[in-house]
Amino acid sequence: MQPTTGPAISLRGLTKTFGDFTAVDGIDLDVPRGQIFGFLGPNGSGKTTTIRMLTGTLRPKSGTAEVLGVDVVRHPERVKRRIGYMSQKFALFEDMTVDENLKFYAGVYDLDPATFAAQREYVLRMADLVGREDELTSNLSVGWRQRLALGAATIHEPELLFLDEPTSGVDPVARRQFWDLLYDLASRGVTLFVTTHYMDEASHCNRLAFIYRGRIIADGSPAEIRADHMEQRILDITTPDADAVLEWLEKADGVDEAYLSGASLHAVVPTGSPLTEAGLRERLAAAGHVGVEVTEVDPTIEDVFVNLVARQR
Amino acid sequence: MMATLTRIGAIVVKEFRHLLRDPRMLLAVVITPVIQLLLFAYAISFDVENVPTLVVDLDQTQTSRTYLEQYEASPFFEVVAHGSTLADVDTAFDQNTARVAIVIQAGFARSLAAGEQAQVSVMVDGSEPNAAKVSQAYSVAINQLYTQQLTRQWADAQGLDLSSVGMLEPRVRTWYNPERRSSDFLIPGLMVVIIAIVTVQQTAVTLVRERDLGTEEQLEVSPLRKVELMVGKLLPWTLIAFAEVAMITGLGRTVFGIPMRGDFWALAVGAALFVFASLGMGLLISAVAPSLDTANILAMLIAFLPSFLLSGLAFALDQIPVVLQWISYGFPARYMVTISRGVFLKGAGFPEVWPELAALAVYAVVMIVISSVLYGRRARR
Repeated sequence: MQPTTGPAISLRGLTKTFGDFTAVDGIDLDVPRGQIFGFLGPNGSGKTTTIRMLTGTLRPKSGTAEVLGVDVVRHPERVKRRIGYMSQKFALFEDMTVDENLKFYAGVYDLDPATFAAQREYVLRMADLVGREDELTSNLSVGWRQRLALGAATIHEPELLFLDEPTSGVDPVARRQFWDLLYDLASRGVTLFVTTHYMDEASHCNRLAFIYRGRIIADGSPAEIRADHMEQRILDITTPDADAVLEWLEKADGVDEAYLSGASLHAVVPTGSPLTEAGLRERLAAAGHVGVEVTEVDPTIEDVFVNLVARQR
Repeated sequence: MMATLTRIGAIVVKEFRHLLRDPRMLLAVVITPVIQLLLFAYAISFDVENVPTLVVDLDQTQTSRTYLEQYEASPFFEVVAHGSTLADVDTAFDQNTARVAIVIQAGFARSLAAGEQAQVSVMVDGSEPNAAKVSQAYSVAINQLYTQQLTRQWADAQGLDLSSVGMLEPRVRTWYNPERRSSDFLIPGLMVVIIAIVTVQQTAVTLVRERDLGTEEQLEVSPLRKVELMVGKLLPWTLIAFAEVAMITGLGRTVFGIPMRGDFWALAVGAALFVFASLGMGLLISAVAPSLDTANILAMLIAFLPSFLLSGLAFALDQIPVVLQWISYGFPARYMVTISRGVFLKGAGFPEVWPELAALAVYAVVMIVISSVLYGRRARR
């Protein structure tokens, strides 16, 4: 009955306003099945509002939204059994044990005992919680809680899982482990719709969409996005005095943009610019900045996004 | 249908787990009612008897001693000391050794013998108004009786037959609570306060907490319907409220000997309607309260205080200012207190308490409708 082919999500002209404020402004989007789809954007750009419309908890002002072939605007209840949702709040009851939390969500999704037993096994192994079933959730550290929340959100084997900034406030090691679990889910055929503002996580995704001020400003695979939207070159600068060098770069001729990127600085220069690695190093030395390393690098997703946003302004 | 029951069951089980894991909530729900019951039944007593009394007999005659015997004989006054000067009254009141002082002026016997008005002073310590009021009334009564006795003696001495003169003989009797025991009066009302706390406060708090945790958001995405969540959330508190009604009734009947003169079913229906009205209030608070603290304070303001102060429990409703009387109609507690006392003490049944039952039913429906509308609006803007 329900189509199992075709896109997992298909949006046309989806719009949501709160009073005078347009949170989501006529977005079109297609998310293929069985992929990890990254939905990127700064805070307040409309990511959560979009997810809430897709999960049927918020009614759009206009436009259409099909999730797993179901019109979620008109029939949100028809898709609820088939989707999962996890937010950065984790939605676990901390005064209940690991097992009690899983049992609760199994009850909410009305799982039969056999399915629950099998899913419980899977979740406990996946979250590395075998032997800790009777521990109170409040005693678990953040990484474990996060994996348990993922297990609770997928206890009913959803075809499509929405993750709203699931890695906020989690340390880098736990984030890495968490992404391994997401890959595992994707390999089992689950479509993942992930929002994040960590740009390094974008490279984990099969496809990406950038949302900024309620509009989608870029959309495609990470390679496509880099190729389509990055006409400039990136010079990576390591220096002991990042603040002063950044200040100098922002005013320097021939540098379009400069910003911190991880531990180093990135300077964006036009493709045709004669500025070379050595040339920039000499100009910095002339300005009194010594001990500086300059290397030309391939643009990262973050570089693309910073530039896209700069162009929108 | 089965799925609905499974989902509601999951919520109910979870709610009981929360209750069992939270010592503070357990304390509020289970221990507090018992403590309140004991406090109301034993410590906070409005009973007035054995009021410590000081007598100062400045007349020192046979007549004055006969008069004072009236006080000694009354179960109400307990003569704890005999003074010799007026200054003793000050001392006794200051040291709280007596609350009433009877002072017979010198010349008491002579004035009576001469057919004049004799002077007896009754002084009452007003710092405990209830005892003061009752002491005053009793001493007036004793004086009236004594005066009648004197009249009769005088008539006999004059050879007159008083039966030909119409005389009033007051026979005062207290109905429904002949011994005027305050626990009879307080425990049926206390039930109302306890239901209000359990239902209004706890439902408001559990729903707001769900929102704070982010689990409400999670559940919105699940197949769980709003109404299933509500039923699952309210059911445990409904059960607990009924268990507490049963407990208070049971303890009241057995330990405190409260009578149950009326129709138990009228009380049961009243309690059910009151529980629903209170749950509606709890829902309403949780729909408007932005935080847990606000929910707690609002619950305190609209559930606990009115059911305690504006229900007739602590103060008789016709003795509070008119404005407050009008406000009291806006809260369900006053109707429930009337039903509870009516059934326990006055032997009331459906014919007597139907206006209150109707008021509670209307209240329950209005509350649940308003809160559902507010919830719906909040959920899908």
